[in-house]
Amino acid sequence: MTQVLVVAAFVAAYVLIATDRIHRVAAALSGAAAMVLLGVVDARVAFFSEKTGVDWNVIFLLLGMMVIVSVLKQTGVFDYVAIWAAKRTRGRPFATMVMLVVITAVASALLDNVTTVLLIAPVTLLVCDRLALAPVPFLIAEALASNIGGTATLIGDPPNIIIASRGGLTFNDFLFNLAPVVVLLMVVFIGLCRVLFRSAFTYDPERVAALMALDEREVIRDRPLLIRSGIVLVAVMVGFVAHGALHLEPSMVALLGAGALVALSKLDAPKFLEEVEWPTLVFFMGLFVMVGALVEVGIIARLGSLLTEAVGGRYLLASSVLLGGSALLSGIVDNIPYVATVAPLVQTMVDAGHGVGQATALWWALTLGADLGGNATAVGASANVVVIGIAARAGHPITFWRFTKYGAVVAAVTIAVSWLYLWLRFYAFG
Amino acid sequence: MTARALVQPFPIVTPDTNAMEAATTLAAQRLPGLIVCGDDRRPYTILPGSQVLRFLIPTYVQDDPALARALDEQASDELCRKLVHSTVRDLLPEPADLDELPVVEADATALEVAAVMARMHSPLVAVVDERDGNQVIGAITVRQLLEYLLPQQPAN
Repeated sequence: MTQVLVVAAFVAAYVLIATDRIHRVAAALSGAAAMVLLGVVDARVAFFSEKTGVDWNVIFLLLGMMVIVSVLKQTGVFDYVAIWAAKRTRGRPFATMVMLVVITAVASALLDNVTTVLLIAPVTLLVCDRLALAPVPFLIAEALASNIGGTATLIGDPPNIIIASRGGLTFNDFLFNLAPVVVLLMVVFIGLCRVLFRSAFTYDPERVAALMALDEREVIRDRPLLIRSGIVLVAVMVGFVAHGALHLEPSMVALLGAGALVALSKLDAPKFLEEVEWPTLVFFMGLFVMVGALVEVGIIARLGSLLTEAVGGRYLLASSVLLGGSALLSGIVDNIPYVATVAPLVQTMVDAGHGVGQATALWWALTLGADLGGNATAVGASANVVVIGIAARAGHPITFWRFTKYGAVVAAVTIAVSWLYLWLRFYAFG
Repeated sequence: MTARALVQPFPIVTPDTNAMEAATTLAAQRLPGLIVCGDDRRPYTILPGSQVLRFLIPTYVQDDPALARALDEQASDELCRKLVHSTVRDLLPEPADLDELPVVEADATALEVAAVMARMHSPLVAVVDERDGNQVIGAITVRQLLEYLLPQQPAN
């Protein structure tokens, strides 16, 4: 009976999250509260259980990175890089788009996707304004690039952080298994941009002077802080790469980096906490308790063994279904609750594979599907929604279908390329 | 003291007035804003100077003011040229924000006028005469109101 009630409470909360009937934080907390009231979760389970409680590694990794971004934002480095890069293209529209999407993808691999597009969109509007170009194709391309770039690393997208923590995967695991395919996907994506947005590339030589007149050095707000932040950011990245050898969890690396930046920047608390999304952190906590309850009552174990039995040894089939299914669902619903729910199931299937590479590849299928599927629709990823909001405020509204028209093509092609990559790397020759 | 005693003649524009003309009036007469009336001279809204700036400055610069430093004088001139081909209607906020107007009747007291200004964050209020079909007879600015409300400074 308890199992039925737990599933009912979970599904109800999930529907509320997916349909946005109430704020997703309220929905997740209500779901967590229901689990407590049903007697499945108590303080010990919620706060101290590594398997069924709040995953503090995820929470503090997110918090640390948000603080780092808050400090970096004060330097003006993103505006500088974007203007500098646009000027190198001497105003050629396609080259400008390539520069901006590459910057977005690289930044998204190191920072949160939403933050990246929030930082890159204003300067994109400026560059397009100077060149008298329609900014919408550039903004859409950046949102899509941000979701692709974020797939490359453990810290690039929140679902990756959950997957890494649940699967015990390191920063380097992501780097070795996903960064190569993301580079390939970016090459394919740039080719797609050339075709999809071809009508946007009208070159006006007379406008080039307006772009070249922009002085990128002026946008650096605090040069000493920029240098110090750069050093700390490099140290944090080294820390992520070497976290296994250093015996430090990625969350500890991020918190140490955040602490160092706070100390060196001497910024006030409101400034260095500016980018901390408290609702997102609380949403994660609620989700962990909800999913933990499913684990506590044995539902995940039962579903996991059913799936493991169904899969048998056919990991290619399982990867394909996971990749395609995750992409489809992530295009419609928020990929964070989806990944939080599916990760324990994937864990069961991977564990049943006893460390075989083909079984471990299920994690990469889940990551690629969940991250890249977000490109499929205008509401598939937070970065898409944020870009649409910025464009509307700037007087360039992007309709749901306009975004989706491009996003669906990009999602379909990138998922197809990802499947090919998984097959070649882990199954055909793995 | 009532609004009728404080009110002063004030330039009035319509939604179809050229935006550059309206902005020039604001600057030349050092006004905090302009009264926008319909053809029947009934008040439609107040156009504060800050709203003109909101129109001139692109939202991406408002979001990220550091970008303004990358722009030179020529870019600044370009931004201002937007006014030439626009009307006051283009400068106004969304109609949804125009529900309530900073308007007082001629017999309102000075404190009533102050209350309207404070509540609506408006640098001026239009004064209408109800005996004359609620037509605008002028406006009261914050400066005029404060000059009246504040105690006189003793002569040194």
